[in-house]
Formats: sequence, C-alpha cells, structure tokens
Amino acid sequence: MTRPTYFHPVAHLVRKEFLQVFRDPALLRMVLLLPVVQLFVFGYAANTDLKNVRLSVLDESRSRESRRLVEAFYQSGVFIPGPAPSRPDDIERLLTEGKAEIGIRIPAGYARDLAEGKQAIVGVLVDGVNSSSAGRAQGYAEQILLREAVRGSAGPVEGRARIEGETRFYYNPELRSRHYMVPGIVVLIITIISSMLTGAAVVRERETGTLEQLLVSPLSPAQLIAGKTIPFAILAFADLAFATTIAVLWFRIPLEGSVLLLAFVALLFLLVTLGGGLLASTVSATQQQAMFTLWFFLVFGILLSGFFYPIENMPRAIRYLTYVNPLRYMMSMVRGIFLRGAALPDVWPDLWKLSLIGIAMFSLAVFRFRKRVR
Amino acid sequence: MSARGAPIRVEGLRKSYGEMPALDGVSLEVGKGEMIGLIGPDGAGKTTLMRILCGLLVPEGGSAKVMGFDCAREERRVKEHLGYMPQRFSLYPDLTVAENIRFFADLFGVGAAERKTREERLMEFSGLGPFRKRRAGHLSGGMKQKLALSCTLIHTPEVLVLDEPTTGVDVVSRAEFWEILDGLAREGIALLVSTPYMDEAARFSRIVLLHRGRVIAEGSPAEVARGSRRKLLQIRGPDTVRAWRLLREEGPRGIEALRFGDRVHVAHETDEEDSSVRRALAGLDVSIVCVSPGIEDAFIALMGGKETGTA
Repeated sequence: MTRPTYFHPVAHLVRKEFLQVFRDPALLRMVLLLPVVQLFVFGYAANTDLKNVRLSVLDESRSRESRRLVEAFYQSGVFIPGPAPSRPDDIERLLTEGKAEIGIRIPAGYARDLAEGKQAIVGVLVDGVNSSSAGRAQGYAEQILLREAVRGSAGPVEGRARIEGETRFYYNPELRSRHYMVPGIVVLIITIISSMLTGAAVVRERETGTLEQLLVSPLSPAQLIAGKTIPFAILAFADLAFATTIAVLWFRIPLEGSVLLLAFVALLFLLVTLGGGLLASTVSATQQQAMFTLWFFLVFGILLSGFFYPIENMPRAIRYLTYVNPLRYMMSMVRGIFLRGAALPDVWPDLWKLSLIGIAMFSLAVFRFRKRVR
Repeated sequence: MSARGAPIRVEGLRKSYGEMPALDGVSLEVGKGEMIGLIGPDGAGKTTLMRILCGLLVPEGGSAKVMGFDCAREERRVKEHLGYMPQRFSLYPDLTVAENIRFFADLFGVGAAERKTREERLMEFSGLGPFRKRRAGHLSGGMKQKLALSCTLIHTPEVLVLDEPTTGVDVVSRAEFWEILDGLAREGIALLVSTPYMDEAARFSRIVLLHRGRVIAEGSPAEVARGSRRKLLQIRGPDTVRAWRLLREEGPRGIEALRFGDRVHVAHETDEEDSSVRRALAGLDVSIVCVSPGIEDAFIALMGGKETGTA
C-alpha cells in the first residue's frame, strides 16, 4: 500500500475542483462574468454623481437676466431641459408625473428687482422622492441662483455673497462617486465568488453523495477542508487581479497603494468568506439553501459595510453592529489602499480586527464541518 | 487467516438513533475470500452496520474491526484496506469514467504506473473500456454500478463493503455484477454485500439475516431455510381471509400469520402450536397443510410479520 503524502491528496482535490468548475457553464459564467458585469453596472449605472436632472422653467420675466439665469442652470452640467410649463400649476404637475425632477419659476419682476437691488424671489420646486439626490439638486440650484444674483445685482444680496465658503476635498478631489464605488465593488466580487463557490461546492459533494466517498478515503478532515477551499481562494485571487486591472485601466481609478498589501489584506479577508461558505454548507442540505443562507448574510454585510451608505450616517445602534461586520473593515482598507495609498500602519487598526473575525469564523467553520461529517 | 483474525469482525455492535435502536448487539465475521450476504428489509440496520465499518458512524457499544483495525479508533488504517460502495450512486456525474477512476486512484495514493495497469484490468472486467470518455452522469444504471465498483477497487482493498449494489439495476446487469463479485471473492477479497432482494440470497455462500437491528439467522441459504426453527402451515380455501384475520386478532400466541395472495402462511415452532392453529380454524372452510418452507418463506417467517414489504 502506497502511503499518500500529506500534500498530494489536496493537490488532487484542487485539480478535480478546477476540472468541475471549468466544465460547469453556470459556474464558469459566475467566475468570469460576475466581475465584469458588477464593475460595469455599478461603475456606470449606479453612479451617484448628480447628472441629467430635468429642469422645467416657467419664465414669466422673459428678460435678458432671466434667460441668463436659465442658461447658467444648463451650463452647470447637472441640469438638462425638461418639459416647459405654461402656468405655475404646471410645474407641480410635471414633478408629480415624474416628467421633471426640479422646476423653477422666475417671476415677472425678476429683472427689475435685480436692477433695483431688491430681493428677487425665484421659486424652486424639487422632487423629494429620492431625498439624497433631491438635497444635492437643491444645493446646486441655490449655488447657481446665488452666483447669478451676485452677478446681476447692483448691490449686495443679503450680504451672502461675501461669505461664500470654500470647501476642498482631499483624495477624491472631484468627489467622483466612481472612485469611491469601484474599489468597493472589487471587495464585493471576491466576497461573493469565494463564499458562494465554496458553499456550493461542499453542498454539491453532499448532494451527489461524493462527500461520503471522500470521507472513506484516507483524506484527513483538514486535507478535505483545504481541498475544498484552496480552489476558490485561487479563483478569488484571479478575480481580484482581473477586477483591479479593469478598475485601473478602464475606469482610471488610481491605485495609490501597494498591490502587495492589497493581496495580503485580501488573503486575510478570505478567511472570512471561505469560512462563511463552509459554515453555510454545514447548515444546508441543498445548494439552493446554501445560496439563500449566504445571500441573507451578504445583504446585511454589504448594507452595513459603508459600500452605499456612510457608516457615520447610521443610527448609533446600527453603527455598533457594523463593528462585527468584516466587510466594513475590508471596504475601508481597500478604499484606503486604492485612493489614499494607505500603507500597512494605516490599515492596521482595521486589519487586526478583520483578522480576529476571520480567524474566529474559519475556526468555527472547521469545527462545525468536522463535527458534521463525523 | 492471519493472527489479526477475520478481515471483518463485528462483535455485539450497538447503535441507536434517538430512541430507535438501529443495531442491537450484532455480531458477524467475514473471512478471506468469503462473500457474505446481509439480508433484511429497509430499516433492518444494514446501512448502519456498513457505515460503522467504514468509520462514517461511531458505534455506541461493541466493536467492529477491519483487518484487525478498530473502525472507530483506527479509521485511517481501516480506510486503506476497505472499499465502500454506498447504496446511492456517489461519483462525480460531471467527470468522465476515466477521470473518476483517476481521481479515486490519486486520492488513495495509487502511483501512475500502478494505476494504469489496474485501470486496464478494471476496464476489461467491467466492460467500461469503450465508455472511458463518457461522463459518469450519462451512464446506464448497470454501468454506473460497475464504475462505482471500479472506483472502489482501484486501491485494491482486501475488504469490500457494498450496500445494495444491485438495487435499481436491470436483470442482465445484475447477473453480470454478481459474476464480477464472485470473481473478486475467488481472488481472496472479503465481501459483505447487502440486498433487499430475497432471490439474490442464493448467490451467497453464507447469509446473515438482519431484522430490527438483530441477527435473526445465519448460515448457508439452504441451512437458513431448513434450520429455521419454524415450520409452516399453508392455509387455502374460500375462508382464507377470515382465517387470516382470526389468527392475527385472536390466534394462539407465538405464531405469525402472513398473507400471500390467496394463501396464508402460518409460521410456528411446536406441534402444540400446530394443533392450536387447527383448533382455532375449526369450522372455517379452509384446507390446512404442513409445507416445508422455501428460502423466501423462511426469511419471512423469521422476520415475522409487518415489515416484509420488500419480500
């Protein structure tokens, strides 16, 4: 009887796993297309920059000044012309029907009031359904009005012109949401790929009964776990490299920090996702169950990671909840490495917490897995 | 036999699932080159016994040894000597015949050169050669079982444990499969094979009848049939159904009345029981004759009653 070496059986399991992934069109699609689709969907469509806001103007002044004001709106790059209202009531109707996001009413006396240095009142109506974009649209509109007021007025307008504040943003100077989103998507991709594939692969072995065949082979439980996680760690790294390449070359996201640090952080993060996949497999009898279990936790993890909504804006209780969310630390580190050029000491506060969670999760998964197979 | 004793040695094995005892003190031995049939209806404990032998389950009492190694404590040594084929087809359906065989060879540390010669032999005796490149999921039932057996044999185990290998396999493939197993026994492999099919009992040199976690009979198929302590009364006639009901509801103790279509078989042990049955049925329009039990009758009589659906 040839005694198997410690390493070889794991290598054979890994080889077999790749054979299966590359033979299964559904899995292959997930590995190859998921990064591309996610990057492009989130990178383009889910852009939170304010653009193409439809503006409906009721110009009752019909003056040179009023035309200049409207022109200023369109030149801002934020607003585009919406349907023209003919009566004041029309503005409200257009907003209600969703044909415009913002409406302004320039009263008949606008040019005269400006010339006389009096307060000119311009009515602004904003569709507030999407509160965050409404707030920003309103902010833009006010800025434009103020600027025009200063330019057109003979005297000071309520003295506000002089206290124009100047805000400057660091690291993401144009506050481009894409710069903020894309590194986050890179995190999502490796999270989904590694946890889902691991969970599915283990449960699939159980479904086909082959898990039992592996258990009656001389494989030790540790070798079995290694054989079922290493392939998906490799695939996650391949996707990380792939997604990072797209992010840098296509989306022109700056990668200020070290690629090596990014890889190292990802390696520790994989403890969390591979452990999560294994854990899901121990509570699921079918692949669907495993997928649903994982999605349930992934949705919470993503929502509370700061991917979409800043953690600082969350209610206190929920903010505390994010402290145990490994995705939160990963998001913050990867964004830091990409945009700020964060080095090891900078990410350390996040890194040790992530490592702690990762080690705890993976140990729990291994413990449960060993118990379940015996 | 070596000093280690029989290749399979099970003594007083106990295992229960919650309240339900699955194995209640089972002992048996399988010698080198022997093919033992483990026969019993579903739920008799066949699979539990086999899973304990493979180290997949830990017994609550008693001991199970394969090639002298304890199945609970020295499972890794046991696995090197044992090949297990579960009831369900358990190979990778998306891998080809050759890939499945290669994977299991690799897993058991079979070297490349050795694997080649063994693979050739397995292909030859299983007739799988032409299907090498076919995916396992696309094989017929009989072919799947042969492939599963080939994967089980790739590391040349000395002990084979096969759980209902012929269930769901067509008659021709079943006959072929048994010939293969006979050949393996002649080569000196110890085989423990379970089956719910009574007509397959004759295939074995020795059978062990398992019922509700206990061995209720053991011996050659003929011995089991003959040596059953019980005798059979065959009851036929217009009042057969009434006779059957009467015997079940208020018949003498210690007897078992089973219906087979238009007949009722009553298993009993003593002459007194014989006459008490006849007394109980006096007045009914039935003929009562004493028959010598066939293998099937013996099994059913021994198993006694209600769970004989697989007969």
